[in-house]
Amino acid sequence: MRRFLDTLYAAAGALAALCVLAIFLLMLVGSLGRELGWRVGIVNDLVAWLCAAAAFLAMAQAFRNGDFVRVTLLLERMPPNIRRGFEILSLAVAALGIGYLAWWAARFTYESWQFNEMPTGLLVVPMWIPQMSFVVGALLFFVAVIDELVQVLRGHKPTYVRLVEERHARGDFSEDM
Amino acid sequence: MDLVWLGAFLLGVMLLFLAGGVWIAMTLAIVGWIGQAFFTTTLPGKNLFSAFWESSASWELAALPLFIWMGEILFRTKLSEQMFGGLAPWLERVPGRLMHTTILGCGVFGSVSGSSAATCATIAKVALPELKRRGYDEQMALGSLATAGTLGILIPPSITMVVYAVAADASIIRIFLAGFLPGLLLMVLFSGYIAWWSLRHPERVPAADEHLPFLQKIKRSGSLIPVTLLIVFIVWVLLAGWATATECAAFGVLGSLAIAASSRMLSWKNFWEGLTSATRVSCMIMFILAGAAFLTKTMAFTGIPRELADWVNGLGLSPYMLIAVLTVLYLVLGTALDGISMIVLTSAVVLPMVQKAGFDLVWFGIFIILLVEIAEVTPPVGFNLFVLQNLTGKDSNVIARAALPFFGCLVLCIGLITVFPQIVTWLPDAVMGVSK
Repeated sequence: MRRFLDTLYAAAGALAALCVLAIFLLMLVGSLGRELGWRVGIVNDLVAWLCAAAAFLAMAQAFRNGDFVRVTLLLERMPPNIRRGFEILSLAVAALGIGYLAWWAARFTYESWQFNEMPTGLLVVPMWIPQMSFVVGALLFFVAVIDELVQVLRGHKPTYVRLVEERHARGDFSEDM
Repeated sequence: MDLVWLGAFLLGVMLLFLAGGVWIAMTLAIVGWIGQAFFTTTLPGKNLFSAFWESSASWELAALPLFIWMGEILFRTKLSEQMFGGLAPWLERVPGRLMHTTILGCGVFGSVSGSSAATCATIAKVALPELKRRGYDEQMALGSLATAGTLGILIPPSITMVVYAVAADASIIRIFLAGFLPGLLLMVLFSGYIAWWSLRHPERVPAADEHLPFLQKIKRSGSLIPVTLLIVFIVWVLLAGWATATECAAFGVLGSLAIAASSRMLSWKNFWEGLTSATRVSCMIMFILAGAAFLTKTMAFTGIPRELADWVNGLGLSPYMLIAVLTVLYLVLGTALDGISMIVLTSAVVLPMVQKAGFDLVWFGIFIILLVEIAEVTPPVGFNLFVLQNLTGKDSNVIARAALPFFGCLVLCIGLITVFPQIVTWLPDAVMGVSK
């Protein structure tokens, strides 16, 4: 189970990274194409959808990796057992919130499939296809939050705390804005 | 007045969640949900979906992952070593000598990277041991590195500026252009302080290394040519209006890849690590932007910002007073929040207020960026202090004290751009025409 979930998060993260790579390549092609007089309107639509997919698909991994920012000023000054209580509380709030988000992402995309909603731009593809990245990403994020909640309830240190500590111990600050 | 109380209530809920450690993006969305579910007649679920989708599926926002990636690629090269070696020979005769490498290094790296923590860490990793070995004053080195590292977000391209532009619905390129002159001004102030300090304490500045003939100096600096070309290219693209911000970012990535490849630092592993790391960071920022977009919808439905703007307007504060109050507000926020969250969190409410008081949103963007820079070098959560603490093992309060004079330079810079707003607006107006 552990290995299966980790692979799942990593696969979605890799897919998100490929979306960023695709944005990069498309922008290069698009700007050259514009000079050559091609019609590049389609590129812009595609880039927007890839941008959304890159964000949504990476959420679970970014969350586990400790990239999502939060105020740790008080948490870090708490004794460990109280801090654990607050971690559980935060994760419970997160589980509720992200569950709600995933539910609405799925419900709306389902409706957009049902009514065969079409975009207004140049690229004529049913809206539910790009919106699937939102559904998959949000669901996976929800799974990751529940996963963490279970870990912390079992008495482990949260993954998002452990990984940041490891990174900083290596002197790697590339992911801190 | 009821609306102002509702605003205060929502603010209270937000502070409670934030203090308890709930992730910032989620807090924003939850507060937005509370506002919509209990105080409006709209369907929060539907708005949540459209806020997240519309804010993320944006062609303009695609510049964000690319600019971050560009910094990630260069972070994984030998650029900082090359920078030190290339800059050092030219500085031997300036008062303060190699101490200026911190400022120039951060300025140069800042103009290819959009993050201040990465700028600070990259330059400090090389400059600190080199300066220490030659016997330079450690206090000065630490202080200047902590503060000059923040140039990363002021000198374009800058991640924080992209976020502000999206939040304020302003032109990314205009805000980038607005950052150039204040960035240069700040570098002059920093270097000026170092020179002044060195003239007063000549005994604490070590003697120059061997003096190199001119041609030798040029040869040493040869390694800086690729990065110089990249900077000139980015500046030229921005000034000529030849490409959009997103295209500029894509070419920046291409240039960085070329630099990494030419210095033989581009392996598949490096490439993939940089890409995935950039993806995660941009995901984090886009998640905050999406949460904020939902909160902004709540604000629009309730009409709180308009009411608040009217209320503040009714107080009859002079523009300078308003700026003074906002400065204090951001300094307080900066003690607990990171810069991007700070901007996104306040934009829905503060921007209408500022606009109503007659301030230019581009100018205000640079003003906020400077305040974020201050927040990064002030305890308890100044991030650059934390970076240097990790690199040197010194306590962050010691580093904060070392940074104090440079902190003063930042404050002076804010004062200067407030009194002479042309420092900010001249370049974008000259290049793109006066707005409005």
